[in-house]
Amino acid sequence: MTEIPDLDLTPRDEDPGPAPGSRGSVRNKLIGGVIAAALIFVVYQGLTNARVFFLNVDEAIVQRDDLGDRTFRMQGTVVSEEGNSANGALLFTVAYNDATAEIRHLGPEPSDLFDLGEPVVVEGRWNGDVFESDQILVKHDESYVEDNPNRVDYELEDAP
Amino acid sequence: MHWEFVIPGYLIVFGGIGAYTWTVLSRARSAAARVPEDRRTFLD
Amino acid sequence: MSSTGTTTNGSRAFAGPTASKATRVVGLMALAGIALLLPLALLWSPPEIDQADAVRLFYVHVPSATVALYLAFGVTCLGSLIYLRNQSVFWDLMAHASAEIGVVFCGFVLITGMLWGRPTWGVYWEWDPRITSTAITLILYLGYLALRRMDLDPTVRSKRAAFLGIISFCNLFIIKYSVEWWRGLHQGQTIGIDTQLDGLMLFTFAWGMVTFVLIFAWLLMHRFRLGWLELQATTTSLDDAIAARRAESPQLTGEGL
Repeated sequence: MTEIPDLDLTPRDEDPGPAPGSRGSVRNKLIGGVIAAALIFVVYQGLTNARVFFLNVDEAIVQRDDLGDRTFRMQGTVVSEEGNSANGALLFTVAYNDATAEIRHLGPEPSDLFDLGEPVVVEGRWNGDVFESDQILVKHDESYVEDNPNRVDYELEDAP
Repeated sequence: MHWEFVIPGYLIVFGGIGAYTWTVLSRARSAAARVPEDRRTFLD
Repeated sequence: MSSTGTTTNGSRAFAGPTASKATRVVGLMALAGIALLLPLALLWSPPEIDQADAVRLFYVHVPSATVALYLAFGVTCLGSLIYLRNQSVFWDLMAHASAEIGVVFCGFVLITGMLWGRPTWGVYWEWDPRITSTAITLILYLGYLALRRMDLDPTVRSKRAAFLGIISFCNLFIIKYSVEWWRGLHQGQTIGIDTQLDGLMLFTFAWGMVTFVLIFAWLLMHRFRLGWLELQATTTSLDDAIAARRAESPQLTGEGL
């Protein structure tokens, strides 16, 4: 093995990398901070909102006294539509597990999927026996059915 | 109906794939320029 | 696979130094997949009875989710595990490459999901369990990519990234079961035992899956080789620096060491 003489092995300052407090290091901290803040925010939202996203109609009725005028979400299937009241509120009834609740909705119009027999999640609060809703979310299920104009209508198919 | 949501969705997805591809390939070109020809072999 | 970067000049001109026979074959297959997927998804497949044309977003939404959450982050987790076992440079680069592609596709999942949510649910965003957990995943992997860019000792950085890559993948199980554990707006699995997906819709959906897997495979090869080239560029400049240092010592030159 040859002895290597006098090789200068001290690091040169050509590529020292970002020093503490330099722009690179500040940028790293900034990116890290933004990501950490976003993570905390989303996890918080997940723990407060997503864990109990909604109550079913029957549960919401049982818990009516506890809920008071607190805002929550309630799920049920639209069983009847009573049209609009004098002040423009949309009136309809939802049901779940044989329990029904009247809904008075004042807020943005629901999506086109809103219809009789569709499961919906309404956000709002109890006012006596009536649920006052600010928002209607139409819950879509796992079925995807072709909208084929040539197909015999489902009602006709079921008819004797 | 609802094409106003479908079209932007497809534009974002396929435009996004195109943009990402372009980024990867141009980064590869500039990296390759810094590597001598005989070392441009891959591990795979 | 055993291919080298030295390929014909024709493919170099198009796809650059990371192209090879394998990327050309997979790339052409992916292009053919896209060429058939677009008319299938946008023209030939029928609108859905409730969602109308919004259903077409599903042919890119679900394949993006599969590619990002299962394939890409799965490869990252696998690469991380192997790296921690034997410090394999190959798997370290592979984990990094795959995570980056996963982040891109995870972004597609959230964007197409929002665009679908507005016409069907009535809102772009809700803190539904599945949406929330998907957002958490995206942020975790953005953190992974940020960690990869930090100025740390390369070995320390790779090791930390490997841990993060494994932990983040565990979060995916929460997403997978969030729909069943917690009530949400998001529907359950589309393809299950009692699948409700009509003929051409099912075919379009399957075609979308195949196409997106091909796109992922193609991107992963290129992105992996980019990582390898960048590593080579770093070591080349290091070797050059050593060579320059040697040249400065007069005793070492011309003696055929």
